[in-house]
Amino acid sequence: MPSNRPITPSTLSIKDLPWQIHWNKDKCTLCGSCTAVCPVNAIELGVFRKRTVETALGIEGSASSVFKVYHGIRQRTDAAYACVGCAMCTQVCPNDAIMPYRSDEAPKLPYHINQGGQPRRRGGRRNVPGGILDQIKFLRISMLTDPALDAGRHEFEVRTLLGRVLPPEESLKHFNENGWVPPVREIYPLIIGSMSFGALSPPMWEGLQMGVAYLNEELKMPVRMCTGEGGCPPRLLRSRFLQYVILQIASGYFGWDEIIHAIPEMKVDPCAIEIKYGQGAKPGDGGLLMWNKVNQLIAAIRGVPVGVSLPSPPTHQTQYSIEESVAKMIQSMSMAWGFRVPVYPKISATSTALAVLNNLTRNGFAAGLAIDGEDGGTGAAYDVSMNSMGHPIASNIRDCYLNLAALGKQNEIPLFAGGGAGKTGNLAANAAALIMLGASGVQIGKYIMQAAAGCLGSETDRCNICNVGLCPKGITSQDPRLYRRLNPEDVAQRVVDVYLSFDTELKKIIAPLGRSTSLPIGMSDALGINDFNAAERLKIQYVI
Amino acid sequence: MEREFYKISGRENGQRLSSRILEEKIQQAVAAGHRALLIEACGQHGIGGRLWKAGAEPVYVKIEGNTGQRTGSLGYPNTLIEIMGPASDDAGWLNAGAHIVVHGHAGNGLANAMAQGKIFVGGNTGARAMTMTKRNPRFAHPEVWVLGSVGDYFGEFMAGGIAVICGVDGQDPENVLGYRPLVGMVGGQVFFRGPHKGYSTSDTRLSVISDDQWNWFTENLKNFLDHIHRPELLESLSVRSDWNLLVTRTIREKAGVRQRSMSSFRKDVWDKELGNGGLIGDLTHLDRRPIPLVPTGDLRRFVPEWANQKYLSPCEASCPSGIPVQERWRLIREGRLDEAVDLALAYTPFPATVCGYLCPNPCMQACTRQINLMKPIDTTQLGKASINASVPDLPPMSGKRIGVIGGGPAGISIAWQLRQQGHEAVIHDRAGLLGGKISSVIPETRIPKDVLTAELDRVRKVIPQVNLTQNLDRNAFGNLKNAFDFLVIATGAQKPRTLPVPGNERSIPAADFLEKAKTGAINPGKRLVVIGAGNVGCDVATEAHRLGARELTLIDVQEPAAFGKERKEAEEAGAVFRWPCFTKEITAEGVVLDSGELIPADTVVVSIGDMPDLDFLPENIDREHGFVAVNESFQTSDPTVFAIGDTVRPGLLTDAIGAGRKAARAIADIIDGHRPLTPQGTSTGSRSGQQMIDRNRVSLEYFDPRITEFKDTKSCGSQCASCGACRDCGICVAMCPQAAISREQKEGTTYEYRVDADKCIGCGFCAGACPCGVWEMTANRPMEG
Repeated sequence: MPSNRPITPSTLSIKDLPWQIHWNKDKCTLCGSCTAVCPVNAIELGVFRKRTVETALGIEGSASSVFKVYHGIRQRTDAAYACVGCAMCTQVCPNDAIMPYRSDEAPKLPYHINQGGQPRRRGGRRNVPGGILDQIKFLRISMLTDPALDAGRHEFEVRTLLGRVLPPEESLKHFNENGWVPPVREIYPLIIGSMSFGALSPPMWEGLQMGVAYLNEELKMPVRMCTGEGGCPPRLLRSRFLQYVILQIASGYFGWDEIIHAIPEMKVDPCAIEIKYGQGAKPGDGGLLMWNKVNQLIAAIRGVPVGVSLPSPPTHQTQYSIEESVAKMIQSMSMAWGFRVPVYPKISATSTALAVLNNLTRNGFAAGLAIDGEDGGTGAAYDVSMNSMGHPIASNIRDCYLNLAALGKQNEIPLFAGGGAGKTGNLAANAAALIMLGASGVQIGKYIMQAAAGCLGSETDRCNICNVGLCPKGITSQDPRLYRRLNPEDVAQRVVDVYLSFDTELKKIIAPLGRSTSLPIGMSDALGINDFNAAERLKIQYVI
Repeated sequence: MEREFYKISGRENGQRLSSRILEEKIQQAVAAGHRALLIEACGQHGIGGRLWKAGAEPVYVKIEGNTGQRTGSLGYPNTLIEIMGPASDDAGWLNAGAHIVVHGHAGNGLANAMAQGKIFVGGNTGARAMTMTKRNPRFAHPEVWVLGSVGDYFGEFMAGGIAVICGVDGQDPENVLGYRPLVGMVGGQVFFRGPHKGYSTSDTRLSVISDDQWNWFTENLKNFLDHIHRPELLESLSVRSDWNLLVTRTIREKAGVRQRSMSSFRKDVWDKELGNGGLIGDLTHLDRRPIPLVPTGDLRRFVPEWANQKYLSPCEASCPSGIPVQERWRLIREGRLDEAVDLALAYTPFPATVCGYLCPNPCMQACTRQINLMKPIDTTQLGKASINASVPDLPPMSGKRIGVIGGGPAGISIAWQLRQQGHEAVIHDRAGLLGGKISSVIPETRIPKDVLTAELDRVRKVIPQVNLTQNLDRNAFGNLKNAFDFLVIATGAQKPRTLPVPGNERSIPAADFLEKAKTGAINPGKRLVVIGAGNVGCDVATEAHRLGARELTLIDVQEPAAFGKERKEAEEAGAVFRWPCFTKEITAEGVVLDSGELIPADTVVVSIGDMPDLDFLPENIDREHGFVAVNESFQTSDPTVFAIGDTVRPGLLTDAIGAGRKAARAIADIIDGHRPLTPQGTSTGSRSGQQMIDRNRVSLEYFDPRITEFKDTKSCGSQCASCGACRDCGICVAMCPQAAISREQKEGTTYEYRVDADKCIGCGFCAGACPCGVWEMTANRPMEG
């Protein structure tokens, strides 16, 4: 692209881009690694003409103009090839000669990315650093509880319950009258939230499952992982590892015929069934797995032909109210496993969450409610959905918990909170805050992608190209050329590391509260915040 | 041991003394020189500790009754405390050297944080005995001997000292170590005897008792048993095989304590349960082993292609005659001037006349250099040199005959092309001169006569069959149609368009003016007005000036379309361009505009274009807006009749020449059976489907931007970027970081650049560095997930 050229309104310079490549000519060895690895072709080899005018001191003799040509890395400025800041170039550079830097001013790219009238879509996160969870402190520190607890060395039973917990007398009555009580699972309170096989690459998905199996079988931590919509590999359905899996059913109903065919051959029941109604990152919007990502593997697992687009509508078809839907769906899914498996809905955080919850309290089969806040991640969504739609998780989970408390059912229907836990790395603190605000457990997605697989996303619009299958770490790509960068074993080991360290950190928080064998769910007298309005809203202490 | 005791009671007058008072009494007694104290305790705190007032002299404290918590705490090395009954919690707490004997059981927290001294217990201990004990290298390590068992959480955070647990009549016969012992232990040793239910394996490990350790043990065991008055147990407790020794794991050992490795878990647990290949081993047989970030071969994301001449250069793409200009410059660079010159004859019969003089050279306007504000390569130099181009060898006649009506550039072009393909073409023209407007209308100032003559002579060698001064009407057309396999209408636009204004008859059409001017048969006077300020109007002005006119005005209803050489020469002759001007009337005085203004004129020339004269055409040949209607192959509604040049649409000479070439190709294809007579949307030329190269792929940085003119064809050739066509410069070979590119010489002068896929990483450096934009990067073929 010549530097001197006619411009259009959307002709951008490097300065206008959100990420700028700094390239060091002296260090560069022209090895080609950076351009070979760049996921979006934001850089290319450039030919540069350098001119010097040579004049002698004292202006003796005649001056001359000398041109030299050199080669180097040039950043492309077309909107379609804008650098996404992933820094894979830096990663691969043998001489540390290249690095993207975030623009020091508001980039102009967002105003021009909608070429052809197509608004920007992306994967990843909301790109809003910080949040209320990080501001919450734990105030109630028992100086000398009995026994004094040491997070590192004392014994803990960090467990939560997933399922409808009836009060003892009701439970007995229920059993005597019906010969059945609702199933309840005792699980670890940090759950790997729903990310489908398809949204994630094969090694990523397998790595997560393998890590979960390791935690269960080698370390006796009952960690659970939700499949997300899109089915479950047939082998997993027929293995004992299925007990560590929460199967998800969503509006696309993909993969469920394969699950039905597997039920007679299942060695164990799955942990639970999650009915997805919404996703925190893009509430009210559906999903679409593009035809070109539906390769043989995905097709086999979802039970569809290769190369067809797979839409998941924003809503469940044929269902017209949450009452009807929850009633129907919970009944149907419970029946599939003879009422032995807990079934619960997952909704995006919303100001109408209480309506859903109230309905669940009247539904004797409802095993819980998962709520996904606006800070949840996603594989693909419109910018506007990610940026502007949704409800923060903290107040939503709090409202729901307090509502349950008002009904006297706070120990009966567990609430699970997702979306934003560990957003800035403070996973244990955020999870503990959510638990003390009323969540029985916390779901994580982005955090585990970052910690277990090195996702490059950050809250500064870095990378965020999960939606186009170009994930430079191979986490969300279906292209073997990319996903083979990821070793499932390494992912599994990182999952184990994350859980062990989380476990220690969570204990560091709950041990001083004197809790070692029961989670401090709703123990909001332990929480404080130095924001008066937030304190009022969350009904926790205002501290300065 | 009988000795004199100084007795201190914990009660006075039936009242229990406070711990503070009793402590005062004990300290006073020691200060007074008493070295054997009998304390009748009543639950007081900390009895027997802190007796440093006695200095190095030993103090013996015997405690009867109920001793309180922390007996012997902060104990001093001179002190021996004997508790005759059980000890309450925290006995020996923070002991710094006292020797404490407990004849009964000990409560919780025995020896907590003890650093020196010994504690002998004749019974069991409560929870958290020997926790946080220390060892100071300046002193002997602390010891705790327990005859029975220890309670839960024994030895937590133990950081030094030796504990001995004999397991005699323990509280829990099944477990002498209690629940969760030795968690967080970082130093010390534990001898124990009897069954247990586990200990912290991450902090401790069993060790073989060495001879030295056993000797130490047996020596001290007797002392212990003597102190607790159980010497009879010596023999039964001296069975070496009954004893175990737990030692602290070193830092290195702790680091080495690993869970099962993930690869072992994957192999022995995961794959075993799921089957070979794990989770999806049954669904795919793809190699899924990890790869590096920058792989080669099939795993590359992008693949370079040496797309030599895959795309048209801008000059070739914009040449209506389709001349591969960059190819001619390549031949020049290779020193093959003759071939470069001759090559043009495959495309045009007038490489010198048109390319060198008359053409506005769209090739130069399109030149990538021009777009980048650099001097375009000068095609006219090559054109002018083409005067020497020699007639190609002609193939034998096929027997097919084509009649060409019109001997202008279009007609000559198609006849030229057809003859080169072996078909006989016969030109018919009304005029007495071959060449159409080139010969009759275009001023000699624009085209030297000898150049034109030479090229027309060359044409005549190729097309000997030229019938001039032929009359043309419908009858003649019918006769021709019967005489030939195909007819081509190339009669041009002969009929001047006129202005529907009063006095129109006073004006003269441009073509007539130019034709007469060329032979000197007209005198324009001093003042000339040309209505219609296009390039033809400019020629009129220039010619009029040559013939003596001095006030030259060109008017137009819109901004004049004139450009290039014609306009420049007219301006040099003093022509004034005026617009918008609407002609109301032409009078003897000149041109009257709508505004009423009169532009005085001796001669008024109307130059608003010419229309074809199609009266001779039969009805079955369709017209459109006064021109012959044709398809993209220039075929009329009569499939054996083609029409080209200005009879189809007004255009440049090169347009007419290009049309002749395309139509000739279509006719030849029909004759050869390569396409049906009646077309169905066919393409017209072999390269016509090609796209022009993206100029951004060309790197002009390799060229000097300060070159303002080219002194000869050689310098033109050297400065041509050869867009889309390899210059064989080898920069790619030098640039490739993997040395994956090589040049392969093929037959004759042809060559190829090849990529070794096993070396290539798909970095695109070849594409980035290529001056010509030949290398093209494409996504590697999709790999099945």
